[in-house]
Amino acid sequence: MKIKKLLFVTDFEQLWFDALQSLMDLRKVGLEHVIFLHVIEREKVAMHRGVGYLKDEETKLREIANIRFIDWAEGLFETGMECGAYILVGSPVPKVLSVANEEKADLIVIGAHKGTETIEILRRTSIPVLVHKYDIKKNERPFERPILVTDWSSPCERAIEYLIALKDILKNVVVVHVIAEKSIKGLNRTEIQKIEKENKKRLEEVCDTLSTEGISSEFHLYMGEVVEQIKNAISEHNISLVVAGTTGKGAWRARWLGSVSRKLVQDSQLPILLVPKAG
Amino acid sequence: MQKNILVADDDMDVVTFVSTVLEKSGYKVIGAKDGEEALNKIRANRPDLIILDILMPKQSGIKLYRELKTDESLKDIPVVILSAISKRTFLRSQEALTEFGGEPVPEPEVYIEKPVEPDDLAKTVSEVLSRKGG
Repeated sequence: MKIKKLLFVTDFEQLWFDALQSLMDLRKVGLEHVIFLHVIEREKVAMHRGVGYLKDEETKLREIANIRFIDWAEGLFETGMECGAYILVGSPVPKVLSVANEEKADLIVIGAHKGTETIEILRRTSIPVLVHKYDIKKNERPFERPILVTDWSSPCERAIEYLIALKDILKNVVVVHVIAEKSIKGLNRTEIQKIEKENKKRLEEVCDTLSTEGISSEFHLYMGEVVEQIKNAISEHNISLVVAGTTGKGAWRARWLGSVSRKLVQDSQLPILLVPKAG
Repeated sequence: MQKNILVADDDMDVVTFVSTVLEKSGYKVIGAKDGEEALNKIRANRPDLIILDILMPKQSGIKLYRELKTDESLKDIPVVILSAISKRTFLRSQEALTEFGGEPVPEPEVYIEKPVEPDDLAKTVSEVLSRKGG
């Protein structure tokens, strides 16, 4: 599983060239090609009563985007990178998905501030999605200290494979599992300790897998409300990136894409790499 | 005999503009909307000249140019670059790719930074084809 081609989706409000440059460590693990995508939302240029389709407005918006993309592309081309660009008019979600499929992108990078669209993209793709939160002071090198949040699902296994593909740019991986509050409801202390022991063993196994690949890692077990505990783990371990699997139907998709986790995606200061089930 | 010219640009307005200018001058024009489609059409039609944009989906003009100039059967087809990307960037990118282990490639016949006037385009194409024995 390699990241050779990255689709960088920008509305020129949140993600700029510096955010893309923060991902250039990926070149060390195979990134060769960056595709820029800007979607001009249809309502900005669509038919308006009395004035019709705003062709001049579309031309202006296209040129504003084009001039940025040319500038960014020149920066990348000069370093030997391959580069392409799309400026499309329409609804962002279908356009992002169709370009990602057409270009066979290995990673979609999007901003988080338009929460509904971001969540919708996550629901409808099997391509890993990086919800990028860029702040030069906090995450200049987002891949150095990721936290892998696992619920033992198959997408989490895929997320581990993904991390292994990134091994040359990782410094240390923090592997975390949260025992959900509701899963221990009504259990006695011994039963809870048994669950703890089982989960620790599985966490150890993940760290062993990473270690076999030469990746430094540590594990931590949490218990309680899942999103709150993930937030705790992030602040406790000097994390640069959150990595998690998302399933189509299972609990993780529900947790990550539900109202609480949506808040995490939107509010977290860190980039979040979501790895869906293979398509 | 009518000369074939392939125009690769993802901006259909540019393809239309170039086609109109060149067809008026008596050339037959084949359009392509990205680097991949262009390469397929070049292999299938072997045009007499290629007009190439740089920033395109699927495969950029930089990579396509390199493929053309390192392919024994295609490297003699003259290429005119018509792009908003500067010539300086184009040359630097080719240098970088050569440094990464690629074969050195020659400069394009002509490099035009967009926009181009219709008369200049027609004149450039005519001159390049004459130099190539057309």
